[in-house]
Amino acid sequence: MKLYDLIWLVPLFPLIGAAFNGLVSNRLGLKKSVTHTVALLGSGAAWLWGWGAVIQWYFTEDYHQPYVVKAFTWITGGDLKILDGSVAPVDIAASFQVDPLSAVMLGFVTFVGFLIHLYSVGYMHGESDRAYARYFSYLNLFMFAMLTLITGSNLPVLFVGWEGVGLCSYLLIGFYFEKGWCASAGMKAFVVNRIGDFGFILAIFAAFMVFGTLEFSELFQAMQGDHHGQFAAAATIIGLLLFVGAVGKSAQIPLFVWLPDAMAGPTPVSALIHAATMVTAGVYMVARCNYFYQASPTAMLVVAVVGGVTAVMAATIGLVQNDIKKVLAYSTVSQLGYMFLAAGVGAYVAAIFHVVTHAFFKACLFLGSGSVIHACGGEQDMRKMGGLKKYVPTTFWTFVAATVAIAGIPPLAGFVSKDAILAKAFEAGFTDLNGFGNVYFLLWMLGLGGAGLTAFYMFRLVFMTFYGKFRGGEEAEHHLHESPWTMTLPLQILAVLSIVGGLLIGFPGQLFHLEGWSFIDRFLEPVVLSHGEHAGHAVSFGLEWALVLLSVGVAVTGIVVAWRFYKDDLEFKRATALAERFPLVYKLLLNKYWVDEIYGATVIAGTIKLARFLWEVDARVVDGAVNGTAHTTVGSSFLSGIFDLRVVDGAVNLVGTTYDVASRWFRRLQVGFTQGYAMVMVFGAAILLGVFYLIKL
Amino acid sequence: MMDFQYGWLLNLICYVPLAGALLMMVFINKDNSTALKTWATLVAGIDFVISIPLWFLYKPDGAEFQFATQADWIPSVGVRYLFGVDGFAVLLILLTTLLGFIAVYCSFTAISERQKEYYIFLLILQTGMLGVFCSLDFILFYVFWEVMLVPMYFLIGVWGGPRRLYAAIKFFLYTLVGSVLMLVGILTLYWFNADGLAAIGLKGLGNAPTFSVAHLYTIAAQIPPEVQFWVFLAFFVGFAIKVPMFPFHTWLPDAHVEAPTAGSVILAAVLLKMGTYGFIRFSLPLLPDATVKAVGWIGVLAIVAIIYGALVAMAQKDMKKLVAYSSVSHMGFVMLGMFALNDAGLRGSILQMLNHGVSTGALFLLVGIVYERRHNRMISEYGGLAKVMPLYAMFFLIITMSSIGLPTLNGFIGEFTILIGAYAHSWVWALCAASGIVLGAAYMLWLYQRVFFGEVSNEKNKDLADLNRREQWTLIPLIVVAFWVGLYPKPFFDRMAPTVDRVLERVAVAMPADAETAADHVAELATQPADEGAGEHGE
Amino acid sequence: MSLEQFVPFLPEIFLAGAGFVVLLLGIPMGRQGVRALSLIGAGSLAVTGVLVWLVGRPTEGPQTILGDMLVVDNMAVFFKLLMLGAAAISIFMAAGFLERSRYGGGEYIALILFATLGTMIMASGANLASLYVGLELMALSVYVLVGYFKLEIKSNEGAVKYFVLGATSSAVLLYGISLVYGALGTLDLATIRSTLTAVPSANPMLVLGIVLVGFGMLFKVAAVPFHVWTPDAYEGAPTPVTAFISVAPKAAAFAMFMRLFLGAFAPEVEYWRVILWVASAATMIYGNVVALTQDNVKRMLAYSSIAHAGYALMGLVAANAMGAWSLLMYMLVYAFMNLGAFGFVILLESKGYAGEEIGDFAGLSRRHPAAALGMLVFMLALAGIPPTAGFMGKLYLFAAAIEGGYVVLTLIAVIMSAVSLYYYFRIVVQMYLRDGTEEGAAPAELLEDRWTEAMIAVCVVITMVVGIYPAPVVGWAKAAAGALGL
Repeated sequence: MKLYDLIWLVPLFPLIGAAFNGLVSNRLGLKKSVTHTVALLGSGAAWLWGWGAVIQWYFTEDYHQPYVVKAFTWITGGDLKILDGSVAPVDIAASFQVDPLSAVMLGFVTFVGFLIHLYSVGYMHGESDRAYARYFSYLNLFMFAMLTLITGSNLPVLFVGWEGVGLCSYLLIGFYFEKGWCASAGMKAFVVNRIGDFGFILAIFAAFMVFGTLEFSELFQAMQGDHHGQFAAAATIIGLLLFVGAVGKSAQIPLFVWLPDAMAGPTPVSALIHAATMVTAGVYMVARCNYFYQASPTAMLVVAVVGGVTAVMAATIGLVQNDIKKVLAYSTVSQLGYMFLAAGVGAYVAAIFHVVTHAFFKACLFLGSGSVIHACGGEQDMRKMGGLKKYVPTTFWTFVAATVAIAGIPPLAGFVSKDAILAKAFEAGFTDLNGFGNVYFLLWMLGLGGAGLTAFYMFRLVFMTFYGKFRGGEEAEHHLHESPWTMTLPLQILAVLSIVGGLLIGFPGQLFHLEGWSFIDRFLEPVVLSHGEHAGHAVSFGLEWALVLLSVGVAVTGIVVAWRFYKDDLEFKRATALAERFPLVYKLLLNKYWVDEIYGATVIAGTIKLARFLWEVDARVVDGAVNGTAHTTVGSSFLSGIFDLRVVDGAVNLVGTTYDVASRWFRRLQVGFTQGYAMVMVFGAAILLGVFYLIKL
Repeated sequence: MMDFQYGWLLNLICYVPLAGALLMMVFINKDNSTALKTWATLVAGIDFVISIPLWFLYKPDGAEFQFATQADWIPSVGVRYLFGVDGFAVLLILLTTLLGFIAVYCSFTAISERQKEYYIFLLILQTGMLGVFCSLDFILFYVFWEVMLVPMYFLIGVWGGPRRLYAAIKFFLYTLVGSVLMLVGILTLYWFNADGLAAIGLKGLGNAPTFSVAHLYTIAAQIPPEVQFWVFLAFFVGFAIKVPMFPFHTWLPDAHVEAPTAGSVILAAVLLKMGTYGFIRFSLPLLPDATVKAVGWIGVLAIVAIIYGALVAMAQKDMKKLVAYSSVSHMGFVMLGMFALNDAGLRGSILQMLNHGVSTGALFLLVGIVYERRHNRMISEYGGLAKVMPLYAMFFLIITMSSIGLPTLNGFIGEFTILIGAYAHSWVWALCAASGIVLGAAYMLWLYQRVFFGEVSNEKNKDLADLNRREQWTLIPLIVVAFWVGLYPKPFFDRMAPTVDRVLERVAVAMPADAETAADHVAELATQPADEGAGEHGE
Repeated sequence: MSLEQFVPFLPEIFLAGAGFVVLLLGIPMGRQGVRALSLIGAGSLAVTGVLVWLVGRPTEGPQTILGDMLVVDNMAVFFKLLMLGAAAISIFMAAGFLERSRYGGGEYIALILFATLGTMIMASGANLASLYVGLELMALSVYVLVGYFKLEIKSNEGAVKYFVLGATSSAVLLYGISLVYGALGTLDLATIRSTLTAVPSANPMLVLGIVLVGFGMLFKVAAVPFHVWTPDAYEGAPTPVTAFISVAPKAAAFAMFMRLFLGAFAPEVEYWRVILWVASAATMIYGNVVALTQDNVKRMLAYSSIAHAGYALMGLVAANAMGAWSLLMYMLVYAFMNLGAFGFVILLESKGYAGEEIGDFAGLSRRHPAAALGMLVFMLALAGIPPTAGFMGKLYLFAAAIEGGYVVLTLIAVIMSAVSLYYYFRIVVQMYLRDGTEEGAAPAELLEDRWTEAMIAVCVVITMVVGIYPAPVVGWAKAAAGALGL
């Protein structure tokens, strides 16, 4: 039996779990044990089947060819005449595919997903049974959507998952909906993502109108066959539109504002959705559609610039945040920036590589922070923490491991992948890629600086949280406790992966003249469209090592500075002093460059003002015209009524009131009025005659 | 062109509600509320059940109009009793019977006074609506088209809200003005087909006078452009008011807000569809030249409706008004897809009619449910309902998602096909229309947030009862359909495909691009030599 | 001339006799005998109808009798039967009303019979002279009928106005006739037509004559600007009389109008059409618009009947076969829906006088659902909403106008009929949307009067049946109009 023939079961399992928990246990308020058993079964089955299918596929099929499984015909939109004049059927199948890229994604999404389900069992135990069921049904539903997203074999199916994860993130951010701000954070996330989807869906249409198909494999072939760059323009447009979608989903400038707010959700959610998986969907999509970018220098440059700038900007904000989850959130934005930088320089493999490692250490960090918050009884402000390392030892070492990884210290996962990205960026500048060499150099330097900042703010976080003495007050101190195994076990697994994961899947062979040792490079190679040029490395061996040392150096500097500021003096005097020295910069960073405020004042306020204005217009002008007509008619009726009244009712009423008056006088009066009408008739006749003679004689 | 098999079935479906209403009028005492409800529900239910076979019996590859009936009605002027449906009409009929049943079923507790009249009007209304979709003779169509207005007027006027008088007469007059203009258009076509219009020197084709739509299709190609223009204009006013298209939409919010729940449901789900139905059944195939010329204008109006409707909806404080304006926006999508004049656009437009019927119908049901509990529709009155009425919140969420076009729900399929069709016509259209997707999410989610999230601020909401059995069952069918269309729309597309193809074929006559197809098309359609028709449309 | 010439004229002769008999019987029987008298009157109308059917029908093609004074053709039959029916209905409707009033029934019924006789002659006149005689016979009886409630101010005030203005218009008409005679030297319609067909004449005298005749007719059908008498006369007259004069004389006037303008003066159509076009448009607009703000139901119906004259005129403007028969059809439809509507006004008694204020209808549907339903039917019919006869009537008129190519006129007509819905539905609003308990509402109670109710029922049935299956009526109308040979 071929497991991968039923690849669509992978998303289906969690969907069943979601349905059960949402419809049955939520309604009936079943026991927690039932609920999480079902949920774990759902995601666990997806994990096992996913891995099984991928492995079986890898060893039975040729992994250079995507293996497409069509479940059923979905949308049959008839025929359309596309740009090249031919007629293409809008037949969209619900079809799924196994290929290296989805395999990699499947591999870590199902796994990390399962771990976080497990973690949630411990983390959410405080909720009421119904809320618990609701939580797990959402979480399973998310797994369904995410897995659809990465296994879908065409853009619309990908879009299904794309919107699905958006919905789940909306629901889970707003999980504590009684807190108004949680709900609005959820709505913010959804609407901002919709702005991205706006671009995405247009990209889908554009792609169809150009290629007449939306299947990834066929698009790939079409672009591959295009040697004269006839599709270059189309590729640019489609690429940029797709990137709009990616910017929304992966929280890049200018649409990154929703992600920090998204931390309102339960921490495991932040780990799963807003760090490990969903937010990387944008990167996945860009990597999936790399053939468009490959064909369009402009699109690549835009991606790279947005990525690089976001990486640094978010990092700078991260420097000064005091909410532990906020720091991690901005760190996520920053890391996503690195991934796009990679994609922008054509290093899609490096991008995906970083997606994977980032999933390990960032999930670990979030879960760790969750464990910390758990220990501190919901406190998220690092200024009220400190010295936790003796209370939560497991959390501590796992957290440090992940921190070292993200800081980019060899040979941990973060180092390997991030260094790959920076190397590619440098190489892009060095080889003057697409003639934008200087820009790429600049971006490389930004990336390098960003690495330093990352190291700094991550270690700042560690020092503020785990070192020194506890600043949370007496009674809070009594409650400090390590979390249950369901929470610590995932932490440990992820910590291990943060340490060895990098070398495991992406051993940087080129540093040791061991070309091709990097599994992921080999494995993903067929996914990326290459026109065969630039084989081998433009950068010399020595230069490679120089770069490595440089980035390590930067990272270490960051750590040392953090040490000086937050480990040595426990009142953070130096930090405050620095802040007071540059109050403007400090405020700027602390308030996240006021981006939210600016959007609020311009876009949002503007839209609402416009809406209110149009509503006025509708009531006053558009409807006013209608009622106006009505009133005019009735008014004219009244006037012409008067005409008759003066001559007619006037008489009648007068007669009525003067009933007692002598009949002779009364009769005279009568006749008088009657003559009145005779006049009317005569005039009328005259007018008619006039008309008649004018026209006829 | 006509297949008379099972003609009786169609008549049965159309007249069962009327018969039920008459029997009720005669036999059931106006104070015996249970009997009234049971009977009305029974009749509507039976009507729905007997309409289901249409879904299976309709043969997509069969004759254009199936289940047909024909009989002389007023022979001396060529008015005939012609019934018959194509796939498009079948879908709308099923929508009507389903919503008709739900409308009856959802009124049990909402309507407490003058129940007998209420259910009678509801049932008569249903016959009227079904008749519109069944009629293939212009006069017959027109009769049903206007008959329908009367019961709707009473539903709004008697059982409506505080401003019901205004809303009811506004609805009646506004739509009536539209339809009488349409009548002038119909008569013009009628005489053009026969002996022409003497005083303005328009020569007719001299055929036997008839109002049969099927026959008029065959002469469409020979109608001179200027005539097409005027007739199209007349039809346009009639249909655009019903749709309603910007700027003819202002009767809608009033009617919706004042109407009782069932009234709003029917209004949104079915009555609005008659405008779009009219466009597809009459304007496009009968007046291809004018249609092609009008594309630009109507495209603009549709886009304005999409964005304008969404923005105005955003500014509403009254839930029903908000939903009403969202209808304007959604129907804008329908019109846009229709006038993209290509396969995908038209299919999407038809599907979106059903979707809008289901989603907006359900939204009005949902609003009605809280209104029944609180007798208040102001958004500001609510908040935190998700805590008090979790089930209600879930249903509302699903419908909201279907209304903002979330994939795997019906709204997405419609919008997707419409937009891809629109894109194929002009990327600018798609660009502008797609922005409606963002706005749609904005106003619906904002509504959802304000009503369901946050603390239960208002004391009165502290102990609202969640959905009861009956209320659940009014919604479940719609939700099932929503998922069905969202996950497996193929059966729907298959049934509408023949209609779409025929309409496009008839419009193609006027497409400059397909001049040569136009020529032989005329050749096959026209009773007179082809070159005439082609000559008129060649340029 | 031989006696059998009189055979087709028997119905008229009989009716005249019956009129006198009723008049005489009225003296002894007085008020108590109203119902008996009504039965006699109605009976004699029925007999007349039978006679018309038996002997009054053309055996082979149209034939003229009594020295070409009268013509016997299908159109005449159609109108005669229509008029007889209308008269019968208004007699039955009146019965209870007269009983309650302090005036006897004898003269009333006799006058109805005489007026009917006049209308019958108008319907079959083949000569300007005989037409005029019929017209005057009808008119004089109606003047008296309007003033029948001699002690009521409104009543005899309306009568005086109607009389004075009617006299004026008759003068105009007569003058027009004399001009025509002067120009052509004949009063015989057939001859006039043949002469004009041979040589269409632009002779100013003739044209002026035709125009003046037109004015006279426009007065009789109460078209703008010759409508001014209508509201007062209708409001003032006893309601059953209003019902009668709003139907029979109008129909007769249109019959005469057609005989003159679609018959005799047909060849001159290019001269008179413009006038009728303007009059028709003006009448539709003015009648409907003014009706919008009338709170007195009788007055409102008066304006509505003005408006309907406007619609009917479209048939003459179109001046084609369909125009003719659609006009006939419309007269029939209009007769029954209008009689029915007035029937309710008769039944609604309040403050001792026929229920006239719109408020009197408040909450009718609560207290008398059946009655309200009936009134609803008539209101829908008058507004021309299917599936009532009113729609079918209008449909053909509009179709005829379109065939004639008078699109603008038709547009005016359809818009105005939409507008008319508003004031007809003011009554519906009162009946259904008000429950008559609001302050300021003074609902009238509905009288128990089997006869009137029966008549209303008849009207409802006809209005609905013709609306749903008009084919037979259309057939008759077509056959009848064939007589004009358009």
